Amino acid sequence: MNKEIKKWFSLNLGNKKQNNCGCSDSKCGDQAMVKNKDGVAQVFDVNMDRRQAFKKLTAGLMIGAGAVSTSCSVVSGEKSKEKSEIEWEEYFKGNYKLMTDEEKNNTVDRLVRSYELRTGSKINISSKDAEKDVLFGYAFNISKCQGYMDCVNACVEENNQDRASQMQYIRIHEMNDGKGLNFGEADDTYYHEVPAAGHFYMGTQCFHCDNPPCVEVCPVQATWKEKDGIVVIDYDWCIGCRYCMAACPYDGRRFNWSTPEIPEQEVNKNQHYLGNRLRKKGVMEKCTFCIQRSRAGDNPACVEACPTGSRIFGNLLDPESEIRWVLENKKVFRLKEDLGTEPKFWYFMD
Amino acid sequence: MMNLKLSILLILAITLFSCKENHEEYHNIIDKIEANSMAYKKDSTFSNNQFEISELTTVIDNDPHFYIKNRKSEIESYACSECHNKPVSQLQSEDLGKKAHWDIKLIHADDKTMSCLSCHKDNDMDNLHSITGGKIDFNLSYQLCAQCHNKEVKDWKGGAHGKNISGWQTSRVSKLCVECHNPHNPSFEKRWPARYNTQMVEQRK
Repeated sequence: MNKEIKKWFSLNLGNKKQNNCGCSDSKCGDQAMVKNKDGVAQVFDVNMDRRQAFKKLTAGLMIGAGAVSTSCSVVSGEKSKEKSEIEWEEYFKGNYKLMTDEEKNNTVDRLVRSYELRTGSKINISSKDAEKDVLFGYAFNISKCQGYMDCVNACVEENNQDRASQMQYIRIHEMNDGKGLNFGEADDTYYHEVPAAGHFYMGTQCFHCDNPPCVEVCPVQATWKEKDGIVVIDYDWCIGCRYCMAACPYDGRRFNWSTPEIPEQEVNKNQHYLGNRLRKKGVMEKCTFCIQRSRAGDNPACVEACPTGSRIFGNLLDPESEIRWVLENKKVFRLKEDLGTEPKFWYFMD
Repeated sequence: MMNLKLSILLILAITLFSCKENHEEYHNIIDKIEANSMAYKKDSTFSNNQFEISELTTVIDNDPHFYIKNRKSEIESYACSECHNKPVSQLQSEDLGKKAHWDIKLIHADDKTMSCLSCHKDNDMDNLHSITGGKIDFNLSYQLCAQCHNKEVKDWKGGAHGKNISGWQTSRVSKLCVECHNPHNPSFEKRWPARYNTQMVEQRK
């Protein structure tokens, strides 16, 4: 007489009626109320008979043995052995933040080698750390931007972004004159002669906040702020939950919904571990102020490519830099100041 | 009573000794910048790996000095006096045919403001001349632009106008005014953007 009376005031604690009639030993009479298992219990605390358990165990053992045998076998080729060795070690490496210099060099070497095994060409991945007394800042001149989008092209080429999904870190917004910075009415997929009458142009990208909300919400600490102010992501640590994407108030972060594919000859071979090295499906990425360039003393690709000179980049701690002159002499502002994120990307007008 | 004291002490202890990961706390980025700014004066000697000092002109009337490329070596027909050894009116009457820049047109401001003689002097074509007749070297032509466009030149000297062609770390090398703005026709034409987005990605929706 176990009628399922759903009382309107009962809580749904996830208690389900479970029919355990598949087993030969246990009684089928009573229908036990089993709670929905969560987490580890879901995997370990499962009721199954010996036959099922044995089947599952052997399946797991075979897979493991297969993995081991490819790396240790006598028959398989040197290349595939090396590949699986690299994959094995890459799988078990720790968080980049906790790595010693030697471990960093090792992982970089492994990545370079695995690319060479896959495609036959050499790339150059750096793991250069932040320099002392450097804090990067960026300024954007709204009066000068004409909407040419040369910056977007340069960014895509420099940072090895997926071509199929048109992954872009930079957005150029065509805004209406007289309406202010109204992002809701702005158009960032325009294609007509620029500058169009009645419109002005400005660009957004990751602002590398000094108090970044994306860093605070990451459940695995796969993203953090480096000493020189750049907010970076370790693509091998990211689990792809996109919580940071929800937290960013500026639409700075991008997600790889599919495996990024770049034509071989367009791959930028000068890479940085935290920057433009090739990403995989299911990880976040974003503007890194071209960490592979800025840590080598160059300007980011967007700054270099802009023909009007609207983009200014430099070291905020150098009192004689252009970015400091702009902050001190021009009427600068930032987006969403009241959120307290302290972005290091200022806007100004002539 | 004892419990209350203990718990108050505990709370106090926690608030005093709990520290966030980041030990330097600033209210905003400006405070942080001012606190950490390099206190020493930067070494003012030239340091750049892209350009040689010999191919650059120093903009001395700015502190700190920055650099621009030598303009005279870029002008194909310099020195002007090689052709302009006679007054222009005489050259025009000599019927020399279509030589060098015969078809140059001045589309800069209007004819009440600008004519050829606003910048060039007939008997000294190897230099530019200011409104008061003073000589301005071609390498320092920004001084001529500054007569009317003082605000832009001030911004350019500071770094907010124009293009930086060196990196952020080395001594600054900027583009000269005329490297972007043709002095005889300075306006920019409309053009098509460099890229057409055919895909509205998930992120943007």
